[in-house]
Amino acid sequence: MKREFKVVGKNIHRVDAFKKVTGRAIYPEDIFMENMAYGKTLRSTIAHGYVSLDTREAEKIDGVLGIFTYKDVPNNRYGVVYKDQEVFVSKKVKRVGDPLAFVVAENEKLCDLALEKIKVYYEEIEGVFDPVEAMEEDAPKVHGKSNILYHFKIRKGDVEEGFRRSHVIVENTYKTHMVDHAFLQPEAGIGYIDEEGRVAVIVSTQYPHYDMEEIASTLNIPIDQVRVINAYVGGAFGGREDISLQIHLALAAKVLKRPVKTIYSREESFLAHSKRHAMVMRYKTGADKEGNLLAMETVIIGDTGAYASWGENVMRKAGVHATGPYYIPNVKVDSYAVYTNNPFAGAVRGFGATQVPVAYEQQMDALAVKLGMDPVTIRMKNIFKVGSETATGQILTEGVPLEECLSKLVEAMGYPYGKEAYR
Amino acid sequence: MKKRGRGIGLSFYGTGYGNGFPDVSNAWVRLLKDGKIGVYVGGAEVGQGAMTAFVQIAAEALGVPHDRVLLEIEDTLTTPDSGTAAATRQTYNTGNAIKIACENFKEKLKEVAKDILNLNSTAALEVKDGEVYLEIFPQKRVSLEKIADFLGGNILEAEGSFTAQTTKLDPETGQGAPYWPYTFSACGVELEVDTITGQVDILKAVLVQDVGRAVNPHLVEGQMDGGYAMALGYALFEDLNLKRGVMGNRKFSKYLIPTSMDVTELTKIIVEDPESTAPYGAKGIGEPVMIPVTPAILNAIYDATGVRITELPITPEKLAKAFSDFEKEG
Repeated sequence: MKREFKVVGKNIHRVDAFKKVTGRAIYPEDIFMENMAYGKTLRSTIAHGYVSLDTREAEKIDGVLGIFTYKDVPNNRYGVVYKDQEVFVSKKVKRVGDPLAFVVAENEKLCDLALEKIKVYYEEIEGVFDPVEAMEEDAPKVHGKSNILYHFKIRKGDVEEGFRRSHVIVENTYKTHMVDHAFLQPEAGIGYIDEEGRVAVIVSTQYPHYDMEEIASTLNIPIDQVRVINAYVGGAFGGREDISLQIHLALAAKVLKRPVKTIYSREESFLAHSKRHAMVMRYKTGADKEGNLLAMETVIIGDTGAYASWGENVMRKAGVHATGPYYIPNVKVDSYAVYTNNPFAGAVRGFGATQVPVAYEQQMDALAVKLGMDPVTIRMKNIFKVGSETATGQILTEGVPLEECLSKLVEAMGYPYGKEAYR
Repeated sequence: MKKRGRGIGLSFYGTGYGNGFPDVSNAWVRLLKDGKIGVYVGGAEVGQGAMTAFVQIAAEALGVPHDRVLLEIEDTLTTPDSGTAAATRQTYNTGNAIKIACENFKEKLKEVAKDILNLNSTAALEVKDGEVYLEIFPQKRVSLEKIADFLGGNILEAEGSFTAQTTKLDPETGQGAPYWPYTFSACGVELEVDTITGQVDILKAVLVQDVGRAVNPHLVEGQMDGGYAMALGYALFEDLNLKRGVMGNRKFSKYLIPTSMDVTELTKIIVEDPESTAPYGAKGIGEPVMIPVTPAILNAIYDATGVRITELPITPEKLAKAFSDFEKEG
């Protein structure tokens, strides 16, 4: 279908460009309100253990307006899928950086002073930092009775039969690490009571309506009494999907009836938001003499850290994408999300589908080496086309221009295709 | 010793929340006093260009220049829930919701135009270039500005909602249609490895991206540059130095991300194959643009040296050690 569009397909200037390049775009850091107070967060310095606080001395400091702990939160639990995170730790710390208290004072210096004066008592317990070890029966438990949050399975065809018929088989274990989103703008926000008496929070977020729900739920107030205003956002990449300071600001503004502002430092920002899941990926892939894929088996263990966040969804997405964009008749996938006392892992650009190609694309090249085939030819034989069936049995009815993508890549790279075998 | 190699990576990415979870975007469209059009969605602009894509889709659907569309996305009080700005879903999902809202809005415009133009029916009325006109007798026409005047204080608005189609996967076999649509990517790199220092220099890189249809090609290219740079950091630089739950590197002086000095010129190729369920065929590309880059680098290192690196990040220390181990073992 060839159709002429008037606006779609045109390189108009970004509608937010002018404000951004002239410094007129307002980020939460830029906002000052009449009678504004400042807030800072006390965070755990241990990864696993029981905690108690003595805030009495800090409260006596002139200019300290309030020190909020779990006792002040009507419903202390939140989370994007499972409500396994606490606004403030009530008993057990599960990672370094867990919020313990939120101090509000007339200025930031007084906040720092109050943070120093809060006495924190820890009773440290053994932690678990390796997701493979965390799956063992006798591993220390982060939540409840098992560290296995989620197990996703694909069972398609008969992998044993597929490997029996394979001419070449490649087996490898791949490991990817936790990384940060490294967005430019650290978290910042301001909570206040709006002209109609609603609890309002100005923040940079990926999903204002979700933040609104979590604020209403944790403060136990009707949702129409909450308002979230999304200021300009300095990058996100998945790191602004979970709650960071939204509830702290809403709570403080509601209780103190004053605007309260918080800006995280870069170092606190690293502690506050999620990380990319580290994965251990054991892969076994088999192909026939001509390079047609016959079977693939994988176990993928994902470190979701101290909290679930999007862990279940990330490990599902990793499992669904584990074959790569290739038709394989026999597939067995076991993908796990596992709790540890590491930083919590959640959404990061690619969401599980970014880790698995580290494995499946190296498997393709390793198979090509064994077959004396070049890397383009083996891919051309196996890539998804219109009508292909994925490992989950889904039919790709349209929009599969992968052969065109690969052909254009080969052309632009001047890549040897069918001419020389891989070294 | 310096060694050169080439490598490629292919990838696919399924859009949306997936697994049968209701993936809903809502949009409102309203006629403003001066005949401009207000579009209201809760989809966040996180730098990916969502605002611009929304405006272009609305302008196309309404047949008006893009500067006649005023977009509001900031406030939960004045915008509907359009889902998260994640899962590569805003252009596809919220774009669809906006297009549907605009189509509903055009029907409402025609109803008012029918009255203003003293017609008996809305049949053969068309909305184009900021006017409503009768196709079979184009002299019968009224501008959106006049319609707004005619309405006075009465608000003319329409809603649109779009829900993506996916199914819940079987818990035992994982069978089902978990995501839709899928987006495809291909990357190739040529690089040079110093086997003594473990330094990797990318000499040439090509990224090919299936987009369905590019709403704004420059913005697509911007995403491709960003995804490439982010993957470069993931593969070669970024390391939290995580030990027993403690991040040793929590500032940018230690947690290294690529700078302009590290990012080579990237050749960007956009492949268009319009998707029938997408707004004007446009699929999301925010995440896909990053995904094939890391495996292309890994495969190129193998091509250059014969050493297969199975663990990220590929820091110079790790790479130099891998080479020396490889040489010892033969």
